[in-house]
Parts: sequence; structure tokens; C-alpha cells
Amino acid sequence: MKSIVAEKLSISYEDKIIVDNLNLEIPKGKITTIVGPNGCGKSTLLKTMGRILKPRCGVVNLDGKSIHSLTTREVAKKMAILPQTPQAPNGLTVRELISYGRFPHQKGIGKLNDEDRNIISWALEATKLEEIQNQEVDNLSGGQRQRVWIAMALAQQTEIILLDEPTTYLDLSYQLEVLELLYDLNRSEKCTIVMVLHDLNLATRFADYMVAIKGGKIISRGTPNELMTWEVLKDTFNIDAEISINDKTGKPACVSYNLIKN
Amino acid sequence: MKNKNIDAREYDEKVFIKRMNIFLCCLVLLILSSIISINSGHLKLAPLDTLRTMLGNGTARENLVLFDIRLPRILISILIGMGLAVSGCVIQNVTKNDLAEPGLLGINAGAGLMVIIYTLLNKEKSFNSILIMPFLALLGASLTAFIIYKVAYKKEDGLSPMRLILTGIGVQAGLTALTTLLVVKLDDTQFNMIATWQAGSIWGSNYQDVIIICLWLIVLIPYILYKSKVLDVLNLGDEISHGLGIDVEKERRYLIGGAVAISAICVAVGENISFVGLIAPHVAKKLVGPKNMILIPTSALVGGVLVSVADTIARVILPTSEIPTGIVVAIIGAPYFLYLFAKSKY
Repeated sequence: MKSIVAEKLSISYEDKIIVDNLNLEIPKGKITTIVGPNGCGKSTLLKTMGRILKPRCGVVNLDGKSIHSLTTREVAKKMAILPQTPQAPNGLTVRELISYGRFPHQKGIGKLNDEDRNIISWALEATKLEEIQNQEVDNLSGGQRQRVWIAMALAQQTEIILLDEPTTYLDLSYQLEVLELLYDLNRSEKCTIVMVLHDLNLATRFADYMVAIKGGKIISRGTPNELMTWEVLKDTFNIDAEISINDKTGKPACVSYNLIKN
Repeated sequence: MKNKNIDAREYDEKVFIKRMNIFLCCLVLLILSSIISINSGHLKLAPLDTLRTMLGNGTARENLVLFDIRLPRILISILIGMGLAVSGCVIQNVTKNDLAEPGLLGINAGAGLMVIIYTLLNKEKSFNSILIMPFLALLGASLTAFIIYKVAYKKEDGLSPMRLILTGIGVQAGLTALTTLLVVKLDDTQFNMIATWQAGSIWGSNYQDVIIICLWLIVLIPYILYKSKVLDVLNLGDEISHGLGIDVEKERRYLIGGAVAISAICVAVGENISFVGLIAPHVAKKLVGPKNMILIPTSALVGGVLVSVADTIARVILPTSEIPTGIVVAIIGAPYFLYLFAKSKY
């Protein structure tokens, strides 16, 4: 089963081509992680799949329909997008921010109804934010804040959630907290999750499907076991990696690596 | 689940009532400041006499002072304060910039330049000119806003707060220079008129002005309020707004258009008062929080209070040679702007 399908996608900023003639299928109901070096076009690809950017040519299909033929609001009912390190305005409480997730479903001036309240309560519960729901977002820790944004995406009630480096600037334990939350949500709600991750081992640990990108081209794709090979890491990151299977997770992990010198 | 929902709704209602109370307090403050304003000035009018005159039992002199001089002036200052505050509130939200304001960005200067060009070409103030002026001011304001937007907007990182302010200040300096150049060409009476107008004095207010500004605000403010939820979401940033289903470019253009139109009418009818669009939304945000449905009306009230109080002070301090309202607002506004600038993260 496919969720998002990108066909012959080329994306450019002004004259600079970032992604060139890329084909990609995102499996439905699975967690897909996109990895690659800085500036390889992974965020750009994610934004294009989320209809924030318009491709120069090619299409992104969602359930067989081009997302650029849908309105922004129609897309927002199917897909939630969390950009890198979003900023909340001062003075907004956790609950208020999460309630914005209901925006694409609301009509008129946007008053919350009981169904909206139910969904917001559910999102609060799923992200374990009930205790602090009336606190202001500015006063929270980095990990809590990221959970609030994820809760907002949950309140949007979409089949697909796209996240651009949801663990940036977070401590190790917070990184795990966020990724485990997403993992649990994927398993319980069967939603499709696509995220760009910087940390290779975390990307491997939580993924069902992985995509490695370099220079706007896909180097490799497949299950973590298929992707995490010496060749792929050499081609993607230019490293000489030592890979072993972790006993606890059963997934491959990059234990150590060296730069490959020409 | 049920219980939690009831709790949440009760909490929402409690917050709503609290914010409504603050809003009502602001309304009372506005009414109080109007009453004080009516009673102060060169020609004294005691509260009881005012009431009697209001009810239609005033002497000819009292009627003249109240209905022909004081009331239109108070109404105009309140309406201008409201308009500039709403305009500032919208622009701050849309640009995610706490320091943005139509006065400081040069939008008002653009509107003003057009008004001056018109005054140069038409020596007499006829009724027609009152109808045409707002549209000319709108043209000037829109052109200025367009230029600033084009220069400050970069595709990669959107509308950076710093670049917006710097562009605005640059454009404003240019427009002011151009205005000065034109003012030199005016004869003495025109010069006096324009000089007072530039510094922001609500001179020669009459009911035609009141009606014109009212008509514009009655159309534009409900439109902005209707879009208040969109403004809330836009404040979260472009990408989040996209993700929540907002056509960011389109909505931003509409909302900036609305804000520019509001500030243009304020400049056309009254004057170019800076800082109101900056101070009022800030004070209102401190009082009722960042949700625009309540923030915009509260800003409007705070703006109304601010300008009407400033106008009263202007009238009282020097009763014979009245100092322009804009200067009084600037005396409070400039330090406040510096305080915000020092506190801001950019």
C-alpha cells in the first residue's frame, strides 16, 4: 500500500536545482525516515511532499490525486506538517496551541465544538500533556514544547504526518521521548509518518522504511536492514562505517565511522 | 472523557469571561476619557452642562462648543486611534513582527504624501475632496506597502522582521524627504495647514470626516475580525499555516490590504500619528492574550483611549496654540518603541 507517491520530481530554488527527477513511494501506515548529508535536499523534498513548495516539474500524488490539484485546506485534512523548530507566539497556552490543529476542519470564525474538544483532549492524553494543558508554551522545556507541536498535528486528525527533524536541539532523553511517542502513535493509530532525521541510528531504530538521499538523488531505499550497509553509507555520507546489529533493538546501528579520504 | 470535556469547557468559559471583563473595563475607560475630554479645553463645559446640552437644552454657545467643535474632534480621535491600533495589530500578526506598525513602516507617510500632492493641486477643501482623499491616501499607502513588501520579502526565508523594519525606515525616510521638498513649494497658509497636519493635529474636524471614517471602519474591521482565526494561525509561521490549510500568500495579501486601507483612511481624515499601532496592540496583548478575536477589539479600545487622551492633553497643556496630538503620542511612544527594541530578540 502506497500513501504519497512522488513522480519525476524536480525542485529548484530560483535557478539552483535541489532535487532532480526523483521518484519515491511512501508506504502507508509505516514510519519512513529520510536521511542524508546537510543540504542534500531532504527537507526540500519533505516540504514539496507537504505542498509547502511547488515542484519545478513532476507530481506528488496523494491517494492517486495530485496534491497541487487539491486546495491547501483539503491537503491539511489529510496531511499534517511539522517544520523544523516552529515558534509559538507569546502567551499561548498548551491547549490553545493544540486547538489550532482543528483549524482545517472548522468553518466560519472557528469556534470549537464538542467534537473538537474531544479530539483536543485525546491529543493531550496521547502526548501526556494533560497536567500542563493550561500552562503557557513559552515556559515549557524543549521536549515538552515539541510534544505540544506533535499534539497539534494529532488534533489535525490526518492519515499522514510529515516531520522535519523533530529532535533538533533536544537532549538525548527528549529525542527518545519524542520518537517513542511517534512510534506508539503509528502503531496505535496506524497513521503514516514521514520524517527527516539527522541521527542515523535513531532513524534506523524507529523506521520501517528508509530513504537515503544525496545531492537531490536517492542513493538507496528499503528496510533499515537493507539500507544500512557499508556501500550505502559510503555513497551517502562519504564515511567508512562499522555496522553491527544491536541486540536490544534487532536493528542495525552504525557503531563507529571514519571519513573516507580520496 | 465527558468530565474532562466539561472541565475544559468551563475553563474556556472562565478565561473568556475574564477577557470579556477586561474588554469591558477598556470600554468604560474609553467612555470616561471621552467625558473628561469633552469637559476640558479652552472653553470650559461642566459635566452637568454637557449632559443638559446633550439632551438638547443647551445655550447656543454650549451647542456650538459641544456639537460643532468638541464632539467631532473627540469622535475623530477615537476612531483614528481604533483604526491605527487595528491596523498595527494585523500587521504585527501577519509579519510576525512585534515592531511593525503602519507609521514606522512608512505606510502612513506614503498615504500622507499623496494627500499633500492633492492639497498642492487643489487649493480648496471641498466636500468632494473629503470623498476622494481616502482613496488617494489608500493609493499612496498601498504603493508604499507594495514596495516595502517586495524589497523585504525573500523567497528562501520569507519576511524577516529585521529586514522589514529596516526597509520600512528607509522608505519612510525617502518619503519624508520628498514630502519636505513639496512642502517648501507651498504658500504660507498651505504650509501652516500641512505642517500641523503632518505633526498630527486633529484640526478642523467635522462630521463629514466622522461619517467617512466610520463607513470605512464599519466595513473593514468586521472583515478583519472575520479573519481573526486566520491571523491566529498566520502568527505561528508560514510553514505551520500552510500545514493547517491556509493559502498563506493569498491571506497575507488580503489582510495587509485591509490593514493598509484602515491606516490610509486614518491618515486621510486625520493625520499621521506614529506609535499608536505599536503601543495599543502591545498593551492589549498584555491584557487579553494573543487570540485575535478578543485582541483586535481590545486593541481598538486601547488605541481609542490613547489618542483621545493624547488629544485632550494636547488641548489642555497649551490651550491657545494647540500642540499636535501626534507629538503627545510620540512622547509616550518613542521610549516604548526603544524599550521593545531593546527587549526583542532580533
